[in-house]
Amino acid sequence: MEVPLSVSTTSGPRRFRTIAGAAVLLLLAGCGAKEVVVKGNFPPPVLEPIPLSIGIWYPQEFATHEFFDEAKGRAESAWLVRTGEAQVQMWDQLLDGMFERLKHMNGKPSPSQMNPAVDAVLIPSIVELQYAIPAHTNIKVYEIWMRYGFELVTVNGDPIAEWTMTAYGKTPTAFLQSDEAAVNLAAVVALRDAGAHFITSFQKVPEVSQWLALYDEDPAAAPQTGGLGNATD
Amino acid sequence: MRQIRAAVQRGVVCALALAGLSGCVTSTVDEMVFNEPTEGIGDATVVILGRRHASDYETEFDFIECIGDHVMARDSSIEILDEIEFINSLYPWFEPRTAPLRPTDIERLLQQQPVAERLATIKLEYMIWVDGSTVQTNSAGSMTCGVGPGGAGCFGFGTWGNASDYEATIWDFTDRAEVGRLNTSTSGQSYMPAVVVPIPIIAPVQGTACDGMGDQLLQFLSSEH
Repeated sequence: MEVPLSVSTTSGPRRFRTIAGAAVLLLLAGCGAKEVVVKGNFPPPVLEPIPLSIGIWYPQEFATHEFFDEAKGRAESAWLVRTGEAQVQMWDQLLDGMFERLKHMNGKPSPSQMNPAVDAVLIPSIVELQYAIPAHTNIKVYEIWMRYGFELVTVNGDPIAEWTMTAYGKTPTAFLQSDEAAVNLAAVVALRDAGAHFITSFQKVPEVSQWLALYDEDPAAAPQTGGLGNATD
Repeated sequence: MRQIRAAVQRGVVCALALAGLSGCVTSTVDEMVFNEPTEGIGDATVVILGRRHASDYETEFDFIECIGDHVMARDSSIEILDEIEFINSLYPWFEPRTAPLRPTDIERLLQQQPVAERLATIKLEYMIWVDGSTVQTNSAGSMTCGVGPGGAGCFGFGTWGNASDYEATIWDFTDRAEVGRLNTSTSGQSYMPAVVVPIPIIAPVQGTACDGMGDQLLQFLSSEH
């Protein structure tokens, strides 16, 4: 079939507007942020559960956590990485297998907040998130690095322990894999690493270890008893 | 009985495929094994796992799958577990951060009762760790492609080299001991001349490494080879 060369030059203003609009859209698409909503499957952990009833409170900024990085030059794209949903999915799965009982809190533990009765409440946060893509580093690896903050408190909100923990995930470039898919995979690997690190380090945190020792000796003497008055199990 | 076998195979494969062409590949395989199972592995299972704790590379999942497929295709009595399924079914004990680095670490793993039970259920006999990757070593040339009303075409020449280097360590899961070590190094040069139509002449570097390592593992695991 013969293809006329003059289509764009001899057509009317309407067609010209359509083509110009498409071109502008294409340009805008090139300038837009690359967005990744992290999605993955997180297997349940295989271990002997710690005989504790643990509560979890996800602060709003954790449950909806996202990371935005503006483009530093014309050749780069801005990045928006939403990890909140996957974070909650992974931590729910992990803590459910790691402790004998897991309960979600109704609100941030405090003397005035009615919450289910538990031995302690864990409050996670993301202190820092960094990512690297091959365009930044010239290494054919996508990386995500996160620093978590954890607070272990009584149902009254009294602190038991506070510590930080890092997690790292990477994935190499792969044929026919988009930047977004690779960043998602790196984030999933980082989340799995966070779970692995938490399981292997939780009982080694000095304050947690002391609290667990106290709890083992006499559960009533451990500092969770103050919050039981507010419990609504 | 301790058996040490050091076999060095050097081969240069320059084959013309049916429809297209394939590049030249040089492959070297070194092998050292102890306590080879002379009667095969029976109804026990084997898992092949990639090492992924290095910062600048990780052993490719598809390479591990390729070795497993190579072995099972040649001896259907050998059951090789799927790597991802195995890692997921024992989360988090085979993540890059927690994976055992020495056979003695298996004891630490088995202290977790649910882990010990799961491993007993699958009758794991050999755990094979593969460490390495395939990288592009060089590239040169240029190619120009164009599209016009009469059609499209390319003109130019491109060439690139790939190199694979993998080491497999075989752990006897029952004896908690290392019973073998295999190494395969492969390199090759691929070419892409283009006069209107680009003609890729790809050197199957990773595939040759997979075949080399698969053949050596087959000799170790199978009573028929």
